[in-house]
Amino acid sequence: MDVKKALERVLLQVQKPARYIGGELGSIVKSKDQVDVRFAFCFPDLYEVGMSHLGMKILYSLMNERQDVWCQRVFAPDTDMEKIMREKKIPLWGLESLEPIKDFDFIGFTLQYEMSYTAILNMLDLAGLPVKSCDRKALSPLVVAGGPCACNPEPIADFIDLFILGEGEEVNLELIDLYQKGKKEGWDKPRYLKEAAQIQGIYVPSFYDFSYNEDGTINKVTAREGAPEIVHKRIIKDLDKVYYPKNFVVPFIDTVHDRAMTEVLRGCIRGCRFCQAGFIYRPFREKEFETINQNAMDLCKNTGYDEVSLTSLSTSDYSKLEPLLDKMLPWTTEESVNIALPSLRVDNFSPRLMEQIAKVRKSGLTFAPEAGTQRLRDVINKNVSEQEVLNTCKTAFEGGYTSVKLYFMMGLPTETMEDIEGIVHLAQKVVDLYYSLPTKPKGKGVNVTVSCACFVPKPFTPFEFEPQDTRAQLQEKQRRLLDTVKSKKISIKYHDSITSFLEAVLARGDRRLCPVIETAWRNGGNLEGWNEHFEVQRWTNAAKECGVDLDFYALRRRGYEEVMPWDHLDYGVTKAFLIRENKLAYEDRPTPHCRMKCSGCGANRLLGGACFGE
Amino acid sequence: MGNELFADTVRVFFEKKGRIKYISHLDIVRCISRAIKRSGLPVWYTLGFNPHIYLTFALPLSLGFESECESMDFRLTEHKDPQEIIESLNRVFPEGLRVYKAVLAVTKPEAIRWAQYDIQLEYDCLSGEEVAKEFEAFCGQSCIETSKRTKKGEKTIDLKPLFSIQKLIGERNAVTMVMRAAAGTSLNINPTLVLNAFAAQSGRVPDWMKIVRTRILTEELEDFV
Repeated sequence: MDVKKALERVLLQVQKPARYIGGELGSIVKSKDQVDVRFAFCFPDLYEVGMSHLGMKILYSLMNERQDVWCQRVFAPDTDMEKIMREKKIPLWGLESLEPIKDFDFIGFTLQYEMSYTAILNMLDLAGLPVKSCDRKALSPLVVAGGPCACNPEPIADFIDLFILGEGEEVNLELIDLYQKGKKEGWDKPRYLKEAAQIQGIYVPSFYDFSYNEDGTINKVTAREGAPEIVHKRIIKDLDKVYYPKNFVVPFIDTVHDRAMTEVLRGCIRGCRFCQAGFIYRPFREKEFETINQNAMDLCKNTGYDEVSLTSLSTSDYSKLEPLLDKMLPWTTEESVNIALPSLRVDNFSPRLMEQIAKVRKSGLTFAPEAGTQRLRDVINKNVSEQEVLNTCKTAFEGGYTSVKLYFMMGLPTETMEDIEGIVHLAQKVVDLYYSLPTKPKGKGVNVTVSCACFVPKPFTPFEFEPQDTRAQLQEKQRRLLDTVKSKKISIKYHDSITSFLEAVLARGDRRLCPVIETAWRNGGNLEGWNEHFEVQRWTNAAKECGVDLDFYALRRRGYEEVMPWDHLDYGVTKAFLIRENKLAYEDRPTPHCRMKCSGCGANRLLGGACFGE
Repeated sequence: MGNELFADTVRVFFEKKGRIKYISHLDIVRCISRAIKRSGLPVWYTLGFNPHIYLTFALPLSLGFESECESMDFRLTEHKDPQEIIESLNRVFPEGLRVYKAVLAVTKPEAIRWAQYDIQLEYDCLSGEEVAKEFEAFCGQSCIETSKRTKKGEKTIDLKPLFSIQKLIGERNAVTMVMRAAAGTSLNINPTLVLNAFAAQSGRVPDWMKIVRTRILTEELEDFV
């Protein structure tokens, strides 16, 4: 089928046709006959979401640097487009060539959040492929997946041929090399997967057998076909030398983050006990400030963006932030480029830094104390004191800010109603602080927004053993939160607990959930990160149909000795460390951050030495 | 940046062809602002708290239309050779946008009265010849009333004096025509308004259509320059 022709007839009938047509500045068009390997990089969500994702931009440029490879972008179509695609039988296509991806060599999915799993199945189906790996017999297209959720890939193990664990810059190219070799030598799919399993960072789920105990827990996981018993994730040892794009695809339409982005560092020194990203991206590595500055200059020059963000899990932990800003401020000011600094922590928000930030355009100010009382902040190892929050707010108010957003979680381990009330008390103290300042702007009120998410226990965190609060418990806490608010200056936002429940199921699930996901998808599940598309009934029905108890995954406390579905995957941090941290949490004892003292998490094994200096 | 004085107001003519026709006017404006920035041309920025490139378009193009005669104006802080402007922009424009002329802007966009379009209509199961005949009869009516959406809501207008057909051919399953329709800041008639009125009256709904704007004309039917 000629997708290009078919699209001509339908594109004006859908919302935002620009999502489906490619041709943006910076998009890379090659000739099909002059490349050896075509790679469809799929983001299982809408264009506007996917186009904001830095990892895709990096890997897209990296692969396209190779003359023999053509990487193309693919996003999930919105419901209006999907309806037309199914009616007119238009198979899912790559934006660069407008050719069907079922004819590509690789179809790669990025796994950013659990709620996107049904969209993956839907995209495979729209491409015209069987959703299950075992039903796709040919060598190509190979369906691969990577990204943070690959750290527990079991719930989608039936659908994906192989998973890429850790950072993709090197291993993606190795996979392509191996594929070219296999194609030349006429390998079939099992042969390719067998060879691929020998590459560090590659996990082929079909080579691993799971056996279960009577109580439903995992008895053991056995590797076959010569695949390694433990699969170690990949990292880039020298982050400063790693490939970084000089150009981005610049979307025509507005996207979530439509700006240049530079990567400042990987990993995190903090070790907040609820935060999966803080552990799975370890060890901590920084780029040189000259490199980051050069990356930012190249990107702004080539894309024409007037905003550049300094991206990382915690940009204020970058040891050379002040010299970096000193280097960037002159040219960004000269060229009217705005610097965005996401992920600033409150405790190292120095007056000097504040002064530098004051030079760039003001956007909102957000802090994440995460818990309402000092005791609970110690439990979750969020080493921020109330005084630090207030001091920073004071600096901010004095700098002209009048609205602050505070992020919290509810349902954390050991949490009591006192902790919930503490959230509002902290917000109230921020309000009171504002009115106590003699320097506050005349006639302007303060606005404190409290945004409260439900805690979801995640693999590779010290809380991977923890049960999630029941829906009833979370709803009671939400009510208490609302009841405690006395001031009109405080507004409360919270997330629906039912989505969080399902996230908890999928995050720590095993492969017995594969049929549940497939059933939920067959019953209409798709794009479920969007509230209007999410329907819990679909999942409870699917679970019933498949004889699976969802509470078993979300609400159960796991013992330290239990075999986790991800125990055969090595992300650097050891289980012994996670257990140690879990015990410290119950003693209300924080752990100092990595720069102060190494806590022996184990991630430095991947570096072959210590994370810092010595 | 922030120069208070500018040397020239430049008018640039360009084509919009191929898949970029699916990009809306507002998105094109944003894309071109960024492209101009990347071109390195000494472009003039507006003054004020949030400086941006001063950029105006003579006649925005509807989503889905292609064009051979788009124009936009911007200001330069120093004089540049037209050829240099053309080349600098073409180096940074996306696929489908191509600049072919740069001049100093003299004529005001208010001088625009008409726009001319090449239109191609395809029918899966109809004879082009017959549809063309029906279309001719449609155009021959003394009054062609239709409702037009305006900022103040729906209103009924007579299309008859607001468009003319310069050429009409019906062949196989297709109709091709050249339509001239009122254009400009005061009164603007989208050719689809005429085509939809015909489709509504005759029941002949095309299965595919292609519209290319080919000329922009003044009161005296001279090309807008």
